[in-house]
Amino acid sequence: MAGKKQALLSALILAGMCVLPLGLGIYPQHVLIVSLFYVMMASSWNLLAGYTGQVSFGHAAMAGIGAYASGILTAKAGINPWIGIGIGTILAALVGLGLGALCLKMGGIYLSLTTLAFSQILHIIIVNEYDLTRGTMGLQVPALMAEYDKLSYYYIMLAAAVLILAILHRMIHSNLGLNFRAVQNDELAAKSVGVKVLYVRVLAFTVASAVAGFAGGLYGHYLLLITPEIPSLDLQFYVLAMTVIGGMGSFIGPIIGAFALNILAEKIRDYGEYHVLVFGLIALVVARFAPNGLLGLWKRFKPIKPIQGVKQKAVPSP
Amino acid sequence: MLAISIMNGLVIGVIYALAALGVSLVVGIMNVVNFAHGELYILAGYFSYLFASALGVNFLAAMLIAIALVFLLGILIEYTLIRPTYGNDMYSLILTFILSIVLQNAYLLIFGPYPNKPPLWVKGATDVFGLFLYGNQRLAALLAGAAVIAIVFFVVKKTWFGRIIRATSQDREMAELNGVDTTRLNMLSFGLGCALAAAAGVILTPVFPVTPTAGVPVALTAFVVVVLGGMGSMWGCVVGGLMLGLVENLGAAFISTGYKNVFGFIILILVLLIRPAGLFGRAKA
Amino acid sequence: MALLEGRKISKSFGGVQALSQVDFSVEAGTIVALIGPNGAGKTTLFNAVAGAFKPSSGQVVFDGRDITGLPANAVCRLGMARTFQVTRPFAAMTCLENIMVAAVNRYPQKPRSFIESFAREKLNRVGLADMEGFEARHLNVIQKKRLEMARALATDPKLLMLDEVLGGLNTQEIQQAVAFIRSLRDQLGLSVLWIEHVMGAVMQAAERVIVLDQGRVLMTGTPHEVVNDPRVIQAYLGD
Repeated sequence: MAGKKQALLSALILAGMCVLPLGLGIYPQHVLIVSLFYVMMASSWNLLAGYTGQVSFGHAAMAGIGAYASGILTAKAGINPWIGIGIGTILAALVGLGLGALCLKMGGIYLSLTTLAFSQILHIIIVNEYDLTRGTMGLQVPALMAEYDKLSYYYIMLAAAVLILAILHRMIHSNLGLNFRAVQNDELAAKSVGVKVLYVRVLAFTVASAVAGFAGGLYGHYLLLITPEIPSLDLQFYVLAMTVIGGMGSFIGPIIGAFALNILAEKIRDYGEYHVLVFGLIALVVARFAPNGLLGLWKRFKPIKPIQGVKQKAVPSP
Repeated sequence: MLAISIMNGLVIGVIYALAALGVSLVVGIMNVVNFAHGELYILAGYFSYLFASALGVNFLAAMLIAIALVFLLGILIEYTLIRPTYGNDMYSLILTFILSIVLQNAYLLIFGPYPNKPPLWVKGATDVFGLFLYGNQRLAALLAGAAVIAIVFFVVKKTWFGRIIRATSQDREMAELNGVDTTRLNMLSFGLGCALAAAAGVILTPVFPVTPTAGVPVALTAFVVVVLGGMGSMWGCVVGGLMLGLVENLGAAFISTGYKNVFGFIILILVLLIRPAGLFGRAKA
Repeated sequence: MALLEGRKISKSFGGVQALSQVDFSVEAGTIVALIGPNGAGKTTLFNAVAGAFKPSSGQVVFDGRDITGLPANAVCRLGMARTFQVTRPFAAMTCLENIMVAAVNRYPQKPRSFIESFAREKLNRVGLADMEGFEARHLNVIQKKRLEMARALATDPKLLMLDEVLGGLNTQEIQQAVAFIRSLRDQLGLSVLWIEHVMGAVMQAAERVIVLDQGRVLMTGTPHEVVNDPRVIQAYLGD
C-alpha cells in the first residue's frame, strides 16, 4: 500500500477506534481493552518470532515482570502506579536484555527451551513468594485514576497501543527492520554481509520484553488484581495463537489476530469454557496449512496490483 | 525420611529417563522436539484407566493396548503435522506446542478435570532391607521402568533396527545414501518416541493419578533430562533422569516443596550455558 | 605487500585435520584461483579466512591488519566479501531487499533513497534489474548466484571471495560469468580469490593458481605451470 494511502487508512481506523466505545456497554468495552493488551503483546512477540526468528516462550513472563514489579511497588510501597509501570517496563527490558544475551549462543530449539525454563522458574517463584506477591490469591493494586472509569482505561490502552505500534512500525521499516528479517531468513548469510547478528537479536529481545512489561503493567492496573495467570503458559499460548493465526512476520497480522481471537473467545464463552480448545484447533490448522496466517491467505488471493517498474507476473518464469 | 526420598527419587527418575529416551529418539533422528510429549504420556494413562477400570479389561492387557494406541497416534501425528515441516525446526516446535494445548483441553472436555486412576498392579508395601516400608506399586514401577529401559538399550545397541537408528541420527545423508528409507524411519521413530512416553505413562499413572495437565511437568522435565544428559546419548537420559529425580525429591524434602520443579529448570539453563553438550553428549567442534 | 595473506593456517575438527600449515597470498588487483580435488579443504580455508570459524592456528592478514579469528561481519566491514557454494539468499525478502541489507550495513547513515538506488545499480550490473520486486525464493539457481554476487558487491569490498560460482552453468553462461568477473578486476580494481572446479574458465582468468590437496598447499604458480605439473595431475587422478 502506498505511504499516503496507508497513513489515511490508519488515521480513519484510529478515529473509528476513538469513537467506538462511546456507543458500547461496559462489557464490550472490557473486551476491547483486553484486546488492546493483546495487540501490544502479540505485536511485540512477533518482533521476536516473526521478525528475528526467536520463538520465545517467555513473553508472558515478561508481562508478568512488568505487572508484578508495578504491583508490588504500588501495593506495598505506595508508589504512584504510572511510575510503577515505568519501573516495571525498565525491569522487563533489563531481564529481556539478559535473557536475550543468555540465548545468543543457542540455536532455535535451545533458545525456546531456555525461555520456557525461564518462564516456569518465574511462575514458580511468584506462586511461592506469598508474602511478596500473594501467590495465587492475587495482588490487589490501585487504579490508574482517582475514580475507576472504564472509558478512561480504554483511551489509555488505545494510546499505549498506538504508541507501541508506531515505535514498532518505525523499527521495522528502518534499516534495523531489514537487518531483523535478514537474520531471520539466514543468519549465516546476514553475518557475511556485515549484519551485527548478535546485536540485532539482543535488541529484539530487549525491545519486545520492554513492550510486554509495559503492557503487563497497564493490564495489571486495569484488572486491579495481578495473578500468576499473567506470567502463565496459557497467556503465552494466547499470544502465540493470535500471532500465528493473524500472520507471523507481518505488521498487521498480530493486530488482527489479537482482536479476532479475543472477540471470538467472548462469543464462545457464552457456551462454555471451550475457547482455548477452539483457538488451538484453529491455530493448528492455520499453522499447518497457512503458515503466513490469515494475512498470508489474503495476500495470496487478492488481485495482483501493479508494482512500480516490475513486469506483471505473480511468480517469475524460470 | 532420607531413604524414602531417595526411593521416590529413583522411581520418578526411572520414569523421567524413559520419557527422555522417547524425546531423545525423536530429536536424534528428526531434530524435532515434540512439545506434546507429556500429553501422549498422560493419554496412555487415560487409555489404561479407560480399558482397565471402566471396561474391566485385565490391567496388563489394558496397558499394552494403551501403548499400542498411542504409538499409532504418534504415527498419525508425524504424518499429518510433523512431516510437512521437515527442515524447519521452529514450525514443528510451534505446531507441537499448539497440539499440546489442544490435547490438554480435549482431555478436560472428554475426561473432566477430576483425577482418574488406573488400577494398581500390586497392593501393599514391602519392608525394604529391613529399614523402612515402601509401597509395592512404586517398587513395581521402578522394576518395570528399568526393564523397559533395558529393552530399549538392547534394541538400539544389539539389533539391526537399532543400528539403523544409530546410523541415521549420526549422519542422515550417509544413511540415506546407504538405502535407509528415512521418511519411513521418521514415522516409526516418532511413533516409538510416543510409545516410550506411553510406557512411562502406564507405569507411573497407578501411582500418580491422571489429570488433563499432569503431562506438562513430565514433558518439561524430559526436555531438561535430554539436555542435561546430552542430545543423542541414551546413557545420558538414564543418568540425567535419575539425577533429576533424586535432586527434585531430596530438594523437596530438605529445602522446599514449592520450589521442587525449579531445580530442573535451573539445571537446564546452567547446562546450556556451561556445557551445552550435556554430560555425555558430543561436544561441538 | 599482498592484500590478503594466510600464514601457516591449520584447522582440525575433532580428529580430522582439514588444513595444515597453509601459506598463500593474494596481491591487490589480481584474480587468484584456488583449486584442488574434492575434500582438499578449499571451502574450509575460505571459512577460516572469512570468519565463519577460527583457525586452529596460524594467521590471516588482510590489508595490513591481523584479522585472524574475527567474526564474519567484522571481516566484511573491513572489505572482504564472500559468496557461498550453495547460494544463501534471504528467501522471503525481495531481490532489492536482499541487496539493501548489504547496502545499509555498508552505509548505515545514508538515506533510504540512496540505499535503494545503490542496490538497484548492483542488481542492474548482474542483469537482475527486472526481478527487483520478486522474493528471492522464486529465483532459479543461476539467478540466485547472480543475486548473491550482487549482494557481495553491495558491501563495496576490496576482495571478493567466490566459492564455485560456475557450477551448473552452460558454456555460454560460463563465458559471460568469467567476463563479468574479469571486468570486476579491470574496471573496479577488485581482487578475487576464486574456488572453482570448472578448470578451463578459471585458467583463462586467473593470474595465479593455488593448488590445495588434503589440507596442504601442493603448489602455487601460473595457470600454465600448474596445469602441467605432474604432482597436480596426480592429485586429481590419484583418488
